[in-house]
Amino acid sequence: MEISCLPISASHRAKLLSAGYTTLSSLSSVSPPQLSRDLNVALQEAVDILKVSSESCRVEVQDGAVEFCKGAQTAWDMLSEEQALRHISTGSGDLDSILGGGIHCKEVTEIGGVPGIGKTQLGIQLAINVQIPYDFGGLGGKAIYIDTEGSFMAERAYQIAEASILDTFDNFGCQLKEIPEKLKAESFLANIFYFRICSYTEQIALINYLDQFLVEHKDVKIVIIDSVTFHFRQDFDDLALRTRVLGGMSQKLMNLAKKFSLSVVLMNQVTTKFTEGSFHLTLALGDSWSHSCTNRVILYWNGNDRYAYLDKSPYLRPASVHFSVTGKGIRDATSQCKRVRMM
Amino acid sequence: MASIPPKPENPLHLHTTKLTLGCPILDSFLGGGIPCGSITELVGESSAGKTQLCLQLLLSSLLPPSLGGLSSPSLYIYSEPPFPLRRLLRLSLPSLPPRPLDHIFVRPAHSADDLLSLLSHLPDSLPVRLIIIDSIAALFRSEFDNTPRDLKSRSSLFFKIATKLKDRARKLGAAVVVTNHVVDVVEAECGGARCLWSSGRRVVPALGLAWSHCVNTRVFLTRSEGMVRRSNGEECEVRTRRMHVVFSPCLPERSCEFAIVGHGVLGVG
Repeated sequence: MEISCLPISASHRAKLLSAGYTTLSSLSSVSPPQLSRDLNVALQEAVDILKVSSESCRVEVQDGAVEFCKGAQTAWDMLSEEQALRHISTGSGDLDSILGGGIHCKEVTEIGGVPGIGKTQLGIQLAINVQIPYDFGGLGGKAIYIDTEGSFMAERAYQIAEASILDTFDNFGCQLKEIPEKLKAESFLANIFYFRICSYTEQIALINYLDQFLVEHKDVKIVIIDSVTFHFRQDFDDLALRTRVLGGMSQKLMNLAKKFSLSVVLMNQVTTKFTEGSFHLTLALGDSWSHSCTNRVILYWNGNDRYAYLDKSPYLRPASVHFSVTGKGIRDATSQCKRVRMM
Repeated sequence: MASIPPKPENPLHLHTTKLTLGCPILDSFLGGGIPCGSITELVGESSAGKTQLCLQLLLSSLLPPSLGGLSSPSLYIYSEPPFPLRRLLRLSLPSLPPRPLDHIFVRPAHSADDLLSLLSHLPDSLPVRLIIIDSIAALFRSEFDNTPRDLKSRSSLFFKIATKLKDRARKLGAAVVVTNHVVDVVEAECGGARCLWSSGRRVVPALGLAWSHCVNTRVFLTRSEGMVRRSNGEECEVRTRRMHVVFSPCLPERSCEFAIVGHGVLGVG
């Protein structure tokens, strides 16, 4: 934002420019008496001009940092950046390792698979694991869970939260005599902002609203949509329209991920596609949707075992790994053959 | 135009009510009973026990909440006439209110569009907390060919119907139970769905992958034949029936045996 955009009178603007004040930063270090001399205006006018310019500075937000003087960052932003470098664990060490440590912040990750493979379970696990405190290697953040299918059950989330908390303490070898309030499963559940969405218009309206919501709730570090697909598999006779709507939605989600340094996780369904003379299983929402996400993980059955395949990533190799869904949530597979297979 | 921003809910306040099946073993197997607020599918071959279980649920929903019921009337939509009234009359549960049949609404559906129209025009004032569709498969059998276009419009109907059902389930806190048939598995196709054995056949649920995405819980009823010695020493042929949780938001995959006796469906433990 430059001088020309400041809400001041035209004559003041002209005087600023001819006196050599062309940028907002040049105004940040000048005193009112100095400015009134340079512009040949009354002291009170100079004070007003400086007030307007400093307010405009504060309004312009770049990556959450207020650039009052160049190079300064708020402590909150520094913490956010450090948190953004951390990954959200899926609960399975093997799965984390093919993901490069877990689910990344500032990126959109798509998780697709057949019904019953564990997409919702993974979503709930991530909504819990994002809350693991910073001192225990987590992000200490909150979660937004957008449920379009009605598969989120609070009892299951509670079960997963209890197990995740206990396992975290085990991993750090500590035995707390009394668990503090904020490390109880009830608090973990209360930190999930749960939205139940019943149509695609509600879905789009909510995603548009998230920008405002996230400004008010800066501690949210993950947004999960389970599933992003359900409401888009009806009512769209015009596929071009659907593609446009989906494209706009994915753009918004990508922007949210970057702007608020959080991770966006989208669950997708599968469908059969007839190519090259036979039916193949493929992710729903069409070919153009496949460009909408930074990362893609496909969950599939191999006999009676659950596998996860990293299908798309900007810097990791494709790999697949055996994992399991237990009473505690997503965990490593316990069978003997749990090697990670590189493609 | 002012719009109300959506308000998040706190999961701590989202308790899932369960509807009892009328048998403690089956209730415990299903984590308390049939969950309200989502769609539960009972899938199995003919005479597997799907309708029998549904009729039992019609009665158990009339029980008070203290006994696991919903104290509410129910709606039974049937697609394969006639309505099994005689079987319903033979069932009984303790502690039912007087004249239970007065609280069961029954309606036939002739086609998928008919069902959709029915669901769209259900008055909001109808306080049913159990909706049963028996069966969903029969509504789709004859109308659609296997062309890609028909399959797409068929799958679009699945999602429309499922959305309407889930809407009702959520608004009324209702349990929705849908029964489905099975089809035999052709070797190459068994990719998406897990198959089960029933009466010596490898089978998968009908209606394919798209419909599978529309239900929240899938319970498979299978049967096989064998001889059983009763407690009085007699040997007789009994169909072993098993109930399998194929997928569920909160239950592990598991199975349990059940039996259909004169007055109802019971778990065998």
